[in-house]
Amino acid sequence: MEKFLLKNIENPNSADIAEYIKTGGYKALSKALELKPSDIIDEVKRSGLRGRGGAGFPTGMKWAFAAADSKKPKFILCNADEGEPGTFKDRPILEKNPHLLIEGMIISGYALQAEYGYIYLRGEYPEAKDILEDAIKQAHDKGYLGDDVLGKGIRFYLHVHQGAGAYICGEETALIESLEGRRGQPRIKPPFPVNEGFLSKPTVVNNVETLANIPYIMEIGAEAYSKLGSPDCPGPKLYSVSGHVKMPGVYELPMGTTLREIIYTHCGGIRDGKKLKAVIPGGISTPILPPEKIDCPMDFVSMPKHGSMLGSGAVIVFDETVDLVKVCLRAMKFFEHESCGKCTPCREGVGWLRAIIERIYNGSGTEKDIDLLLEVSKNITGKTFCPLGDGAAGVVQGFIKDFRHEFEQHISKQVKAAA
Amino acid sequence: MITVTINGKKIQLEKPVTILKAASMAGIKIPTLCHHEALESYGGCRLCLVEIEKMPRLQTSCTQYVADGMVVWTETERVVEARKAMLEFLLINHPLDCPYCDKAGECELQDLVVKYGPSTGRFAEGKRTHPESYDDPIIVRNMDRCILCARCVRMCDKVQCASDISITNRSSKSFVEPFSGGRYNCEYCGNCLTVCPVGAIMSRMHKHAYRPWLIEKEVDTVCSFCGVGCSVVLQVRGNSIVRAVPKTGKGLNKGLLCNRGRFGYDYVSSPVRLDSPLIRRDGKLQRATWSEAFIYIAGELKRIKETYGGSSIAGIASGRCTNEDNYVFQKFMRVVLGSNNIDSAAGFAYAPAQKFFERIFGQGVTANSIHGISNSDGILVIGGDPTSVNPVLGLQIRSAHQKNIPVVTIGYMPGLKRFATNRLIPSPFAETALLAALVSELKSKRRLSDEKAAFARDINTIIENIPPVSLNEAGDVCRISPSDINNTVDAISNMTNPSIIIGRDILQRSEGHTNLLLLAALIYLLNGRIYLLSELPNEQGLVDMGCLPDMLPGVRPLAVDSFRRRYDEFFGVEVASEPGMSIVEMIDGANSNKIKALYVMCEDIVFNIPNSRYVKEALSKSELLVVQDIFMTETAQLADVVLPSLSWAEKEGSYTNLERRMQMLKKAVDGKGMEDWQAIAEISRMLGFDMNYRSPKDVMAEIARVSPLHKDIAYDDIVGDGFMWPYKGEPLRHGMSIEGIDIPDAKSLLKISDNDKIYAGMENPLFYSENLSRNSSALSSISPEPYARIGKALATKLSIIDGDYVNISADAGSIELSARVDSDLPENIVLIPNNFGDKGIFNVMNWKINPVIKSFVLDCTEVVIKKIKSAAEEVLA
Amino acid sequence: MLNERVVIEINRIKSKYHDAQSSLLPALYVVQREYGWLSPDAVAAVGDVLNVPRTTVKGVATFYSMFRHKPMGRHLIQLCTNVACMIMGAERLVDILKTRYGLEPNSTTDDGRFSLVVMECIGACATAPAMLVDTDFYDNLTEERIADILENYK
Ligand SMILES: Cc1cc2nc3c(=O)[nH]c(=O)nc-3n(C[C@H](O)[C@H](O)[C@H](O)COP(=O)(O)O)c2cc1C
Ligand code: SF4
Ligand code: FES
Repeated sequence: MEKFLLKNIENPNSADIAEYIKTGGYKALSKALELKPSDIIDEVKRSGLRGRGGAGFPTGMKWAFAAADSKKPKFILCNADEGEPGTFKDRPILEKNPHLLIEGMIISGYALQAEYGYIYLRGEYPEAKDILEDAIKQAHDKGYLGDDVLGKGIRFYLHVHQGAGAYICGEETALIESLEGRRGQPRIKPPFPVNEGFLSKPTVVNNVETLANIPYIMEIGAEAYSKLGSPDCPGPKLYSVSGHVKMPGVYELPMGTTLREIIYTHCGGIRDGKKLKAVIPGGISTPILPPEKIDCPMDFVSMPKHGSMLGSGAVIVFDETVDLVKVCLRAMKFFEHESCGKCTPCREGVGWLRAIIERIYNGSGTEKDIDLLLEVSKNITGKTFCPLGDGAAGVVQGFIKDFRHEFEQHISKQVKAAA
Repeated sequence: MITVTINGKKIQLEKPVTILKAASMAGIKIPTLCHHEALESYGGCRLCLVEIEKMPRLQTSCTQYVADGMVVWTETERVVEARKAMLEFLLINHPLDCPYCDKAGECELQDLVVKYGPSTGRFAEGKRTHPESYDDPIIVRNMDRCILCARCVRMCDKVQCASDISITNRSSKSFVEPFSGGRYNCEYCGNCLTVCPVGAIMSRMHKHAYRPWLIEKEVDTVCSFCGVGCSVVLQVRGNSIVRAVPKTGKGLNKGLLCNRGRFGYDYVSSPVRLDSPLIRRDGKLQRATWSEAFIYIAGELKRIKETYGGSSIAGIASGRCTNEDNYVFQKFMRVVLGSNNIDSAAGFAYAPAQKFFERIFGQGVTANSIHGISNSDGILVIGGDPTSVNPVLGLQIRSAHQKNIPVVTIGYMPGLKRFATNRLIPSPFAETALLAALVSELKSKRRLSDEKAAFARDINTIIENIPPVSLNEAGDVCRISPSDINNTVDAISNMTNPSIIIGRDILQRSEGHTNLLLLAALIYLLNGRIYLLSELPNEQGLVDMGCLPDMLPGVRPLAVDSFRRRYDEFFGVEVASEPGMSIVEMIDGANSNKIKALYVMCEDIVFNIPNSRYVKEALSKSELLVVQDIFMTETAQLADVVLPSLSWAEKEGSYTNLERRMQMLKKAVDGKGMEDWQAIAEISRMLGFDMNYRSPKDVMAEIARVSPLHKDIAYDDIVGDGFMWPYKGEPLRHGMSIEGIDIPDAKSLLKISDNDKIYAGMENPLFYSENLSRNSSALSSISPEPYARIGKALATKLSIIDGDYVNISADAGSIELSARVDSDLPENIVLIPNNFGDKGIFNVMNWKINPVIKSFVLDCTEVVIKKIKSAAEEVLA
Repeated sequence: MLNERVVIEINRIKSKYHDAQSSLLPALYVVQREYGWLSPDAVAAVGDVLNVPRTTVKGVATFYSMFRHKPMGRHLIQLCTNVACMIMGAERLVDILKTRYGLEPNSTTDDGRFSLVVMECIGACATAPAMLVDTDFYDNLTEERIADILENYK
């Protein structure tokens, strides 16, 4: 498939506006500005684009909600927090193809009649900050941003806002809180951001990759776009692959490419001739899968049918040498560290899960502890304020479902040692 | 109409509310920990989970709104399991120290665990621990008990708006703490205590002293500290108050209190309370019986009245006494002793201000609901910081700010610093020019109405005649940039019905009368609602009961013959038509031997009037000084007879707050003194005038007959949130004549204060309230050190830093204090509180009388400041 | 407390936002860049400049793991140990920093040269393990490579 999101990123000057324009950049914007805002929203709706941030919410629908709210001003926020471990798909866009994102944001701003956009960039990408700010300046100088976009009397201002190390700020309402200079704790929904978001004004939060798809839709039209990828989830998708494959990296592939194809066709299979033990398909919050399940298509609709989720499309591959209890423990440390602390089950329960796994890993666990893990995670599931706590519980359940024997081995090893 | 079914019960609702609310309306209780009715929903604890048909997930009922046709179950097996799980999670880190914890018995967590909780703990690892903290004088913290419901933080942030505590860190490391990490250094309102569901933040005052179930009775009463009149519940065990608590949703304070109201009640049980009458014999005050005391007083009063006439006797009433006490007191003075020399601390500023505004706009102009403040479209504050004078009223301003209502403050007001949209701090005592400029500007922006009532014509004339003052002129005098003043003009000229909140400082100036006139003009131009800050719980009652030299009960002017006649008839004695002396005139009168006898009811004039030395001298010249009080005050020490009275918690009666709302005091404990009205009635009887009251109720019955304003008020009707103005009686609706109101000339509007001089000013700190706070060990512990607040510029000039010791001297005396440097304070003023006997401001401050409105003038004390010891030297020593 | 340059910079940032508190995170960054950490005085001063209560600022500043609340060494090493880096050997790197530089997580070397913070994912999973030294990014780390890199930071 022809690349769109990662077009030209091999070019060392790909972040430069001149290079971008040379390869057709900002044409989509000109095209979009010929349309009525509502027509753009319709076009995005018809394209079938679903948000790439993890939840897969139809983007056009989200925009329509915000557009329908009469409060002013409106805001478009780009979620560039990319904190899900294993995920680095937005990074090449931010660092190598920033104008694609900027172009997407200007179009969305025009469609929503929003004059202000913020890119909420994770603090861990300091280089991206400089690159984006340079790119914004270039776009400004060229008249794509500012008081009079392309002489059409439209105003659009874009700023980069740097996060400071909080995974939860990827959650859209926590992101808004953080942008308002508060502790990044999720808000009660409703009201939804499309009605009361940043500064209580209608706000759309979209992932980097989602927004980067907008110029593409403008360019090839909703019709053509909707035919790409999976029927229910059209378009190209960025998969970030890490772990024990020969060629890890970010791959732009049609949505719905199977895990097997990703691992074996595109990434060259498992390295050092080892065997595949397990795959986390969509970032650390998605349940881990055994090798038998890697034939499922990676999209929002198919993955849940196979017991996991597409998430951010971050594939972490484990070969046979990996101790999965250790991976589970590390994942739980992550969730414990990143819990915002607002709700009881996540704040208290996830730490408890970690403590039990730690005990098992260190060899002082008992058979009962595996059941306790399941109990505790069941007590978290479905009761947390936001999906973070749920995710943590689901991860533990996922590990035990298909890899219970690994936990048992740790326990029996300990029993043996004691005997 | 929305119909929901909760646990099979159909509920009809007009508009959507949360499931929690709907359930509670139907009498179904859903357990909560993070939710509190005084706070917005949070959704953190997850205890209120319920099952909703057609929704796969359990939902938190505190955040989920009802929808038509919704079917909710609040106690299914699934729900109960979930609650049990949440409690198990909370107990992971919560210590099981219930036998030791003072919260046991009223701990929301404990109660829920009893109902739903797990019976055995499955958590094997160690709990999070934090040591008990005694960093604060009146608060004790056991933060390992904290369940992170964030109620305290939300209370502090969103309701008290102090934002002095926050959750810091995140995840399971989340921790509630103040900025310092140790001491709170906050306003100590204690509202965080009200909402803490567990024993994490508690009052230190009753630590390990009793258990909640040992409380024997709860008494609903009104706070004794300031003119707001918050509802408070006194919890009593034996004959002592163990705690003062607010009740959520109750009273005009709706569950809030300030530090004084919550912690200050311990003065009632102070060991230095007076417990016996005292008579001066051989130069010393000695114990006596009540009848000895009464005989002595009656005999002396009779002698003096017969020798020098009634007008040689003066009486000072009290804003801490009830309406009934004060009514009986003024009747005693007027009818029994034949003197109109009756006044009180209300005469310092509150009464003159009210009198002036009522004269122009009609009676009741200041009777406005405190809640109206946060509902007005703008707020202008001048002359005092409401957050320290009337703290719970102050919260209305902060809450208005949260609603984006513009707030303009004029003067130094640290408690409103973050809440003012426009903040002007004129140089000391220079507000007159600023007010005049505001009037000049508004005059052109607002068209004067030409049709309203007669008073409109009068005030229009006044406004027309006020000489114009330009922004530049005012800016020069006040040392504020004209553009700042202009921005303020813009802000206020958009207000259509603002709340105008006036503190006493603005009156206690040489130009106090001019300031009042300018304020009246502003109020008229802006169509403003007036609020007068009031330091005493029954300051308004003093006015309404006729404890003024020129007003009769119901605030009927003595000078109007027809009014006076009515009273003559009622009392059967002719009331003198000459107005009496104001409180300040009485002091001068005593000094010049015009006043021979002074009867002081619960007012410490030595302590509360500047230049204590002069006041003492004056008092010692009188032939008779009678003092009723609960403490051996500085004034009582000079008395010939001292009568112990009862404190606010030991008696009944009514208070009238600054909104003119009448509320009831209820007796909580027994005291050793006598009710003030009763002591006076006894003396009156000895002087041959029978006052046959058996109780305050009888007194109120008479008030209702005598005062046209209180007509038909029945004592027993004053319940709950009290009785609101205009009662059932007849207020004087029209303004009285404006004849005699002088229009200021341009010169008096633009008086420039001398740049090189430094003046003493009075600080109004939140933690102090005269003798009550001095005798409350809780309140005295918060800020026990006397201090002087000095502006940054002056401090720099004199190389003074925070904590250095300075000497402040003036004609009246000199004191040594530690310095607190504040960048917002103008250069040529030092502020000193009066709470500290011989280290208080009244040891240096002097005063004059404003001849026009008879209020205090306190802008006349020049001081010299010298640094005497640096903070560092102090530490070494 | 804050130097004039910092105050000017914060005020400049403030103008980008619709309300002052939104500029809190960037303002804290400015201060941290200037002083290396957020001292309580600095936290209070930021509150004063933005008219945000100091305790609120503290609550915010401590929520985010990239703000430092004690003085740091001259160079800050932020090493990722999350799953992808872990399985590619990040733990060994932590050990090396310990043995070779005496540098434990959340501590500073005695000479004040380095501080180490162990991070969650820094988005370099394909080229794991990875770290940031100050704001410079390094990946494909090995025992030798990390030593070479750190040589450049004095
Ligand atoms: C704990 C948590 C972390 C998240 N992190 C991210 C993230 O790093 N980047 C992102 O784009 N979306 C993230 N999301 C999803 C966002 O909440 C939101 O759905 C998304 O930004 C919407 O954009 P989209 O519609 O374009 O996908 C996260 C959600 C949760 C619950
Ligand atoms: S599940 Fe609860 S504690 Fe965890 S991140 Fe979400 S809101 Fe915060
Ligand atoms: S009361 Fe509803 S979540 Fe706490």
